[in-house]
Amino acid sequence: MMSLFDAAMVIARRDFIATVYSRSFVLFLAVPLVVFAAMVFASAQTDEAQRSEAQPVVALVADTSTAQALQSARDRLSAGLPERILPRLRIVAPAENVDVQARRLLADETLGYSAVISGTLERPVLTGPSKVDEIVGARLQLVVDDARRVAALERAGVTVQPVAIERVVTAQAAGNLQMIRRGIARGSQGLIFGVTVLLATLLLSNLAEEKSNKVIEVLAASVPLDAVFLGKLIAMLGTSFVGLALWGGMAALGYLFVQVVQDWVTMPQAGPAVGWPLFVILILLYYGANYMLLGALFLGIGGQASNIREIQTLSMPVTMLQVAVFLVAVTVVGSEGGALTWFAYLFPFSSPLAMVALASTSSSLWPHLLALVWQLLWVVVIIRVSSRLFRLTVLKSGSAGSLFSLNFWRKGASN
Amino acid sequence: MTVDLAIEARGLFKSFDGKPAVRGIDIAVPRGTIYGILGPNGAGKTTTLRMLLGIIEPDKGRRTLLGHDRPLEAARIVGYLPEERGLYPAMTTKEAIAFMGALRGLPLDVGRKRAEILLRENGLADYVDKPIKSLSKGMAQTIQLFGTIVHKPNLVVLDEPFSGLDAINQGRLEHMIRDEAASGTTVIFSTHVIHHAERLCERIAIIAGGQIRFEGLVSEARDRLRPQVRLRTRATEGAWRGSLPADAEIIGDHWEFELPAAGIEPLLKALIDGGAGIEELSIERPGLHDAFVAIAGEAAAREMEESEAMGKAA
Repeated sequence: MMSLFDAAMVIARRDFIATVYSRSFVLFLAVPLVVFAAMVFASAQTDEAQRSEAQPVVALVADTSTAQALQSARDRLSAGLPERILPRLRIVAPAENVDVQARRLLADETLGYSAVISGTLERPVLTGPSKVDEIVGARLQLVVDDARRVAALERAGVTVQPVAIERVVTAQAAGNLQMIRRGIARGSQGLIFGVTVLLATLLLSNLAEEKSNKVIEVLAASVPLDAVFLGKLIAMLGTSFVGLALWGGMAALGYLFVQVVQDWVTMPQAGPAVGWPLFVILILLYYGANYMLLGALFLGIGGQASNIREIQTLSMPVTMLQVAVFLVAVTVVGSEGGALTWFAYLFPFSSPLAMVALASTSSSLWPHLLALVWQLLWVVVIIRVSSRLFRLTVLKSGSAGSLFSLNFWRKGASN
Repeated sequence: MTVDLAIEARGLFKSFDGKPAVRGIDIAVPRGTIYGILGPNGAGKTTTLRMLLGIIEPDKGRRTLLGHDRPLEAARIVGYLPEERGLYPAMTTKEAIAFMGALRGLPLDVGRKRAEILLRENGLADYVDKPIKSLSKGMAQTIQLFGTIVHKPNLVVLDEPFSGLDAINQGRLEHMIRDEAASGTTVIFSTHVIHHAERLCERIAIIAGGQIRFEGLVSEARDRLRPQVRLRTRATEGAWRGSLPADAEIIGDHWEFELPAAGIEPLLKALIDGGAGIEELSIERPGLHDAFVAIAGEAAAREMEESEAMGKAA
């Protein structure tokens, strides 16, 4: 018998070539790119639409001087704030009965006013539904206050010249750094989660091919089932790295292109606690660990399914499991301790995501070594349990052998 | 004298969902022989082979495969053609053969070279780069058989290898089995078609109802039945009738009975002296089919015939 690893590599090589050289793999590579591009485009479009839709428009029904004072106050305040914070003001000439005019303006759907402000600077009136106070009332208060303050200063003949704040530049501020590192942590968790979700569910149906075309009988007679499971995992991990290399390469090219256009090429100054090079290595290692852990579980579960319908039925709980694990890991980003944090670090399926976040926020390296060994151990355990379950239930073998027997590593007879 | 055994199994038991599939199988396959396991469908042949190969574990009993208690330890020197054939449809014939060799530890490049040789030697050079999915069932089965022997195993296990093959491919397979045996390889195959076993095997096991009913040389199985005498005479009555055994039967225009233990010469003398007027006398050695009926019973024989008929229809 070959060593377990040699046997696994025979399986892995076959699966890898069968996947990568198939026409569907081109689709597999292209679809996420197309979906990502579509999402970016849709997001940009949505932002633009939301910007105009989400910003309330208020009819400003007042005499010319009041209207100009309020409009000027809004423009001044908007200069230092995001455009969408303050409601837009549209000046409407006052009618005889302003109260009736305000109600008519609010009823007209073509105009789309959220509220009407009328009266004078000394006695402003806001007309609109009760929710208006929550949405625009407080912000219009700022506008009115600023207009009145400026009017008062003008009346007093006081002029306040704008003063430029002197800048003292430091490399970083602790508050910012923590925020950025938490952002990097969540981003890396999201990246690992997203790619794993995309790929790991494929493993649910991975043994279906061998079961349907009866190759499993040939494999089971030739190599240990552990090698079959391990080989399939390695093949799919390799396949996913091909995808990652392509997608990551394109993202890196895009980043460089933007930087070159801006005439400078740098990495972001604020980075993860362990530094960018090590962090990228840890992302890859934890991605591999996460993929192997979930993949081994899915392969084991999928191996029990006897048809495509069962595999499809299993897909949903499996995806929900991934989402639950992701949420646990995201929750503990930046946490200093506590039961949930330790659970996230130790529970095998959340450990890679939680640990990659730790790499972003803490510079200690030894926990990563321990975590990777711990995760690898669980990969072995899950593969062994899955293959034994497969032997018991699918191959109908009465005894599946000892779970922790290491005899399968031995080399056997040869010609 | 100790016989060098390729396979030895003692008291193998296996149940599926509480229903016994095999009950106390004992088998001893000497190295270098062609060994057949005969039995109707559902007799336990495949379960026995799968236990011998370690694909499934027996509930009870022990077996050794080429001296190994754990059959997978001998995987490099064993070839196996399962009853339900399995190949990856997208693979080319050459790659499929090489892959099966690689599963048994044969380097891929060596496997590819040997695959080409096997295909060429069997007049299938045009199929080297054809994908499996483009082949007929019989051709795909032949390719899988090449994959079974590409790593030059010491033991080849074939489960119902003739099923689904046309006469030409059956002949080719018989030829290959003989070639393998001639080169010192032990071949064990299961079949429900008696004449394959009769033509190829030195030793057989007859299995029915999950139990071994006979295990030994084909000639020993036949010798369980006495030769049959077929006699036609001119006279219908006379003293010669006293020389016939008590259980002699008239079938049509002739008599049939087992050859007496004393042999043919005393019988012949009594027939001539008694004025039988012998028109025809023949002695027929029983075939394996007769031996199978005698050993496994009429019911098992009928099941075998039905299995064979279904196989041909398929």
